[in-house]
Amino acid sequence: MATNPMNQFEVYRIGPEIKLGAIDISFTNASLFMVISSLAILLIFNLGSKKNSLLPSKMQLLSELSYTFVSKMISDTAGSKAKPYFAFIFSIFMFVLFCNMFGMIPYAFTVTSHIIVTFILASFIFVGVTIIGFMKHGLGYLKLFVPSGVPAVLLPLIVVIEIISYLSRPVSLSVRLFANMMAGHTMMKVFGGFVISLGIVGGWLPLSFSVALTGLEILVAFLQAYVFAILTCIYLNDALNLHH
Amino acid sequence: MPKDSLKTRLEIAKNKLSKKNLYKNEEAPSSIGTAFKLSTELVSAVAVGTIIGFILDKTFGTKPWLILIFFFVGVVAGIINVFRSAKNMQK
Repeated sequence: MATNPMNQFEVYRIGPEIKLGAIDISFTNASLFMVISSLAILLIFNLGSKKNSLLPSKMQLLSELSYTFVSKMISDTAGSKAKPYFAFIFSIFMFVLFCNMFGMIPYAFTVTSHIIVTFILASFIFVGVTIIGFMKHGLGYLKLFVPSGVPAVLLPLIVVIEIISYLSRPVSLSVRLFANMMAGHTMMKVFGGFVISLGIVGGWLPLSFSVALTGLEILVAFLQAYVFAILTCIYLNDALNLHH
Repeated sequence: MPKDSLKTRLEIAKNKLSKKNLYKNEEAPSSIGTAFKLSTELVSAVAVGTIIGFILDKTFGTKPWLILIFFFVGVVAGIINVFRSAKNMQK
């Protein structure tokens, strides 16, 4: 029985070792859970959209509800111009949500509790949004780094500050998701360990804490997926409607 | 005319819906999320500034100076970030 609360984040290889040059690309438990969540998303939305009846089945209701939820989120934060990017934001939201939620199952691995996963997701968003901005506005997108009404003496300093603040977006986006997931899961494991070590006499208090924490963690799992998607919308909004 | 009355009823319903949405937007999100958002905003800008300073120092060989300068620039950028997102929240 592993009592170390950080043991749950260990990545290990499943199956044979595969090498691509010097890079190890073997199939790990992290990749397994990514595949599982992607397959679950595909399954739910395929079943949900197979038969479009007027009286929706549970699967259809689920997929329709999530569709309207994300589409409302996009139109509220990024406006109607962001409609073409619906598929991207929807996939991001669903993937993060399913990874978080699968992590809540006991003995499952939480993919989003690793900063490299969230950082790659955030970098894709960052690079994509920057490319969209340059495609829409050309070199005028660089105006984002030059706020209006700044005296010429301060301009070089302000531009450097703006660039740093722009580059810090993917970092803050990824750290937020990763830190929330990792802190929550560590805390749950610690309280679980207390239950074991205090035994039948004193273990009831940490057990009740564990139950409460599980509820909180499910909320956090949803909330962080929502925050991740909504910040993507906000960055997209900055790229589409240039204003400062 | 029945068609017209349906149209006006539709308009009224749509108006109600948009008003409801407006009201919903004004609802504050959970405060722990807000606090966490602001803190990561501050920390990440400082980290990015420091990393840029470190890389520039390595390339130009000006060991301690650029990392010091960019650390403080990063702090300023972080504070600006926090101000901006706080302003966005109040909107």
